[in-house]
Amino acid sequence: MIGRRRKQVMNAVQLSLILIAILIMLVPIAWIFMAAFKNHIDVFQLKLFFTPTLKNFGTVFEPPFYLGHKLMNSTIVAFVTVVLAIPIATMAAYSFSRFRLTGETTMLVVILATQFVPAVVIILPFFVMFRDIGLLDTRIGLILVNLAIVMPFAIWMIKGFIDGIPLDTEEAAMVDGSSRLQVIRNIVLPMAAPGLLTAGIFCFIIAWNEFLFALILTNKDAVTLPIGLALFKAEEGDLWNLLSAAGIIIMLPMFVLALIIRKYFVQGMTMGAVR
Amino acid sequence: MAEVILKNLTKQWGDFVAVDGQSLEVSDKEFLVLLGPSGCGKTTTMRMIAGLEEPTEGEIWIGDRMVNDDLPKDRDVAMVFQNYGLYPHMTIFDNIAYPLRVRGTPGSEIEPRVRKAAEQVELTQFLERRPKALSGGQRQRVALARAIVRTPKVFLMDEPLSNLDAKLRVTMRAELKHLSRELKVTTVYVTHDQIEAMTLADRVAVMKDGVIQQLGSPDEIYNDPANLFVAGFIGSPAMNLINGSIQGGQFVTTGGTQLVPVGGDDRKEVVLGVRADDIRVSEAGQGNIDVPIYAFENTGEATLLTVQWGRQRVIAKGDRYLRKEQDDMIGIALNPEHLYLFDPNTGSRIRT
Repeated sequence: MIGRRRKQVMNAVQLSLILIAILIMLVPIAWIFMAAFKNHIDVFQLKLFFTPTLKNFGTVFEPPFYLGHKLMNSTIVAFVTVVLAIPIATMAAYSFSRFRLTGETTMLVVILATQFVPAVVIILPFFVMFRDIGLLDTRIGLILVNLAIVMPFAIWMIKGFIDGIPLDTEEAAMVDGSSRLQVIRNIVLPMAAPGLLTAGIFCFIIAWNEFLFALILTNKDAVTLPIGLALFKAEEGDLWNLLSAAGIIIMLPMFVLALIIRKYFVQGMTMGAVR
Repeated sequence: MAEVILKNLTKQWGDFVAVDGQSLEVSDKEFLVLLGPSGCGKTTTMRMIAGLEEPTEGEIWIGDRMVNDDLPKDRDVAMVFQNYGLYPHMTIFDNIAYPLRVRGTPGSEIEPRVRKAAEQVELTQFLERRPKALSGGQRQRVALARAIVRTPKVFLMDEPLSNLDAKLRVTMRAELKHLSRELKVTTVYVTHDQIEAMTLADRVAVMKDGVIQQLGSPDEIYNDPANLFVAGFIGSPAMNLINGSIQGGQFVTTGGTQLVPVGGDDRKEVVLGVRADDIRVSEAGQGNIDVPIYAFENTGEATLLTVQWGRQRVIAKGDRYLRKEQDDMIGIALNPEHLYLFDPNTGSRIRT
């Protein structure tokens, strides 16, 4: 009897802890969500009931904010980054996974180590370099920077997935008559597809949310969405309603992607991390 | 159809020698089994034939072509792996069809050939499933079907039955034997299971430490072992190996005075090998010597009597209806036709 009551209490405690955690995480998002549909004057009142308006979503695309341009920049930069990063990372990951390379461990560690360098440390060299070769404030420049950021991550993650494919399967395909490239195309890629998809989406999220480099390396033509948020300042102070509307626009693709990779998320995380 | 010839084949990883300068000829349509304990180099030898491992030295010939520099795909071999090596993202049909498709077989030929191969291994009703939905035995059949769908020059089988449970292994063994006699393709089969080797092989190559210890028919390997290792490895229960000496044509155990006539010159150190089947069990006083029973085991099909002979224990096979108790005295007689003498230092056979 006592044991059962105790269990009930424990369950209740557990549930409330989870609820608190969810609350802490969701309240800011809920606030933004509401603010995006409020008028400027309503924003500072913690009203739960108000007359919702879609006006903010229109305003952010109009002058002087031109969010459409930034949305386009963000989309192109993140998309091209992923499209370039995944094939290159897959090739690198396959080599690391399947061939015994000289200095393999060193290379892998160095690749990982680039992730540990604080962005602020290398941002100035990047700025000077890009200024000299004319890549400042260009999408190509941003794509290059983003590639450098996501590649180590993608290589390690995809390597984890490829390591998980039994070598027997590949060898069977080779004996069955496939060249190495056919093995990769017919066997490895289909089997690693969930991993590639997960890695691709992770890279997209990283590139999409990248802030620091975009802040320093762009000023007009190649400005991305996260930087665009800083525009919503006016004489009357921060335009929180517009800021929130833009925030929703930034978050929306992330929600969609999260839904897609929900299935592979844990698998991808653990495979990339543990192996 | 082709013979496989290995010439002075060596494989080394750093200081470790996996296969040590071995030569071997597998004739056309022969079923050759590479048998040995794990780490003896048998799988490495097979992988070199397949082209999955590059030999450090030596030559590999398949038919009249030296294939050392050929990629696996160009060697025209088919291989069955221990873990099946199936393609999990393809249906069974596509798995079996893969070797045909990747080699550019015309589309109209694929379907009938896949069906025929599936029929031979009794898989026809599973063709639309994926490997995940099949049991271990069925998966192994898919791997077999994938190998026989083409007519390769050589079949390579790497412990194909060792992942199956004991009962299934026996059925699959018979099926494999039936299939191999039907197809008549040169086959190299790797196993650590001596029963598989005995039952399937035309010839067996017993390997240890990268060296072939003996090459011969199952009969030869069993009845005429070349050395101590082969004698001890083949047979279940393992051959009794008794330390002793030869004095005046009689075998004397190390600790005892018991004598068995073996003939030959006097030797200080010798190992006498005798199989459990070649020890006749009788009532006390009726054999060569009387010994006490250390343990009596009834397996149903026979009885196994472990007896204390001097300082050593010897196992003898008795009639299935024999009933004895521990510590009973029995007489044992060794069949003089099937006694083997070995040099304990070199392990080599002493022929008298």
